[in-house]
Amino acid sequence: MDLASYINSLRDPAGVPFYPFVFQFLMVLTFALHIIFVNFALGGSAIAIWGKFNGNPHALRLSKALARATTTNISIAITFGVAPLLFVQVIYDPFWYTANTMSAWWTLGFLALVTMAFIFTYVGYLTGKSNEKGGNIFWIIMALVSILLAALTMHGLSEEQLHPDKWKEWLTQTGTLKTSGDALYAILIPRLTHFIVPSFAITGIYLMLYSWLFRERKDFSTEYLDYVLNLGVKIAFYATIFQVAAGFWWLLSLPSHLNFIVNHAFLFGAFLGMALLVMLAMAQADPKKYIFPSAILGFVTVFFMSYARETLRMAYFKGVNYTIFDYRVAVDWGSAILFFGTFIMGIIVVAFPAIVAFNLARKGQQN
Amino acid sequence: MFPFWEVPAFTSGIFIALIASFHILPSHLATGAFWFVTYLEYRSIKENKPHYMDFIKKFTLLILIFCFVLGSITGVGIWFSATIASPMGLSALIHNYVWGWATEWVFFIIETVAIYVYYYTLGKIDSKTHLKIGITYAFASWMSMVVITGILAFQLTPGKWLETGGFFDGFFNETYWPQLFFRTALMFVIASIYATLVASFIKDKNAKGDITFKASLFGIAGFILMVLFSVWYVYKLPGVPKSLDFGGVLAYMKILNKMVIFSSVIVVGYLVYCTIFPRFTNPVISIGTIVVLFLGILGFEAIREGIRRPYVIYNYMYSNNIIAKDVPAKGIKAMGEKINKDGFLSTLYLIPDDFRKITPKNRLEVGRIITLYQCGNCHSMEKNGKIRPLPRYVSNLGMNAPEDLAVFLDVLEGYPYMPPFFGNEEEKLAVGSYLSTMVN
Repeated sequence: MDLASYINSLRDPAGVPFYPFVFQFLMVLTFALHIIFVNFALGGSAIAIWGKFNGNPHALRLSKALARATTTNISIAITFGVAPLLFVQVIYDPFWYTANTMSAWWTLGFLALVTMAFIFTYVGYLTGKSNEKGGNIFWIIMALVSILLAALTMHGLSEEQLHPDKWKEWLTQTGTLKTSGDALYAILIPRLTHFIVPSFAITGIYLMLYSWLFRERKDFSTEYLDYVLNLGVKIAFYATIFQVAAGFWWLLSLPSHLNFIVNHAFLFGAFLGMALLVMLAMAQADPKKYIFPSAILGFVTVFFMSYARETLRMAYFKGVNYTIFDYRVAVDWGSAILFFGTFIMGIIVVAFPAIVAFNLARKGQQN
Repeated sequence: MFPFWEVPAFTSGIFIALIASFHILPSHLATGAFWFVTYLEYRSIKENKPHYMDFIKKFTLLILIFCFVLGSITGVGIWFSATIASPMGLSALIHNYVWGWATEWVFFIIETVAIYVYYYTLGKIDSKTHLKIGITYAFASWMSMVVITGILAFQLTPGKWLETGGFFDGFFNETYWPQLFFRTALMFVIASIYATLVASFIKDKNAKGDITFKASLFGIAGFILMVLFSVWYVYKLPGVPKSLDFGGVLAYMKILNKMVIFSSVIVVGYLVYCTIFPRFTNPVISIGTIVVLFLGILGFEAIREGIRRPYVIYNYMYSNNIIAKDVPAKGIKAMGEKINKDGFLSTLYLIPDDFRKITPKNRLEVGRIITLYQCGNCHSMEKNGKIRPLPRYVSNLGMNAPEDLAVFLDVLEGYPYMPPFFGNEEEKLAVGSYLSTMVN
């Protein structure tokens, strides 16, 4: 048995119950949503720490708001993370399960780190709730460290999947089969950087939206909101410059035979990244005008960056003769309709509490 | 076969057991609590009782933290722990029920949005709209139970799926309805105990007594229904699992059954106490009851896992991830015959190349690897292992020659709770040789 036939033998014998490209699309889409909230959580907690030490009263107020927002952002990140976690198991099961069993303790460690990040954030928020100066920043620092370590772990588990040609070497280097699950075998710093840096760009855009959302509120001064807006647009701009640099760094670190530099998805993602950079540069002079265009372009860029990463994965897996389009398909219309029907209903139902919350945030308490 | 993860003394399954059992507390609290909360909010609006809203605020914060931090993470944690302990078992569930899980995810999103908005808008928007958000949450969270129960019940009783391969044939299996009703009643019990815990912190004795009394009635009603539905549940179990202890052969199953009964008695005793002395509860007793409840849940989950033996998906896949039966409608073939013919090693790729051929030099190590794959999900390999230690079991057989132990592998099939051994003669001897080192 060679590596390619081994990997293909790991596919589930039941096949997949719908067309693989649908699972792939849903995986990329929900991953993009997931990573945006991971970015909010990471960037938001980092700026909360900065705001606490900055000394400016506006920065302190923002710090408090971001510490509180991080609790919700982690929660939404987890909620959105469930979906790509599901779909990756459907179409990339041989790779996903192999990496996780090879590094099982790290998989459990990831869970522990996310739990700690969540608990630290709540402790930080609850202790600062009734304190004008905010909570003890120690907890937010601990939360940020936990999020970064969780990101590193998940990055390692993802990177391992991309190198099936090394699996045997990793597992048999002791002369027998390694079953301890204690090692994380692959880390690629440029790739990890490309995931971390956007946290600041996304959080910058988040701050721009924040300044818009509370603009009509009497309990939010114009000076404060302008401060947040200007801070947001600056952070977004500089982070995007770093992001473009990180992107090229990663590109140069990729194996040349993948020829990713001419990949259409990559080129389009890179074009969008550049367009965002230009827009944020223009926004520096009059940020108010660019809040929504930047937000929309920012989110579209994240989606296409996720899509480009997916095409990179497909390019890697060509090397072991694996494509999701070979998966045996036995379409199950009943369950597919159940999902899509529920999904449409879900959007309608979620709109109700979401609109209530939006109106409250925009206009403040009416009674 | 995927790589194998070995957890000395405890086996990898311990993580699924602990995480899944723990998850029952926050998940059932999340689904059950808001039927009580919205009832109280309704009464508060109708009868102008602000102390209900004070309680609701505290209770919702508990739910937010306990259910949406620990509950969410342990929910995902069940997937992660199953991934590393039983990848093919999870893969089978995922590939057959991906749309079921995706549907549950939609309800999870509704739940998450609704609970945050409910908490952060409490006292800040008009009370009727607020109540509607609470009802939205209560309904969405219960719907997630309606969906996930089908997948969980499928593992124990796959029903007609084995013949048709159909999603709904496996989903609406023979234990689906009893399980759904049982879990629905259980969620009321769990929610009521947590409600009495939060109420026990209230300083105003009248308010405390009022809420504790109502919460405990809610829990007692749930308890009575839970007992009735559990009888229905057991009645619907297929032949061998129905005895709950393999006809008395497995002593530890008897202990688990007693553990569940003990826990139930304590829980109902506590709830009755709360109805009689609602003003005299305290957090220590409530937390103590939750600990006992958790032990009961641990026992219950161990029984659920135990009666499924030797399968991870009943009648379809053994606990060592070897497919036991053909499912022609899905094009799935049982693996045993092929493994017996080609050897178990033919399913492994990520092993040293010189292990492909068994030699006197590598026999013990190859035997160890095959033993791990075929037995290691349920048995620890150490003499002082805590979970079904293989050395002790082998020692009880009274055999120590590799050849005898190799022959013994052929009769494993005779034990109703053990999967057969799959492999060729050389591999049996290798396993026999390895097992003999455990007793020599």
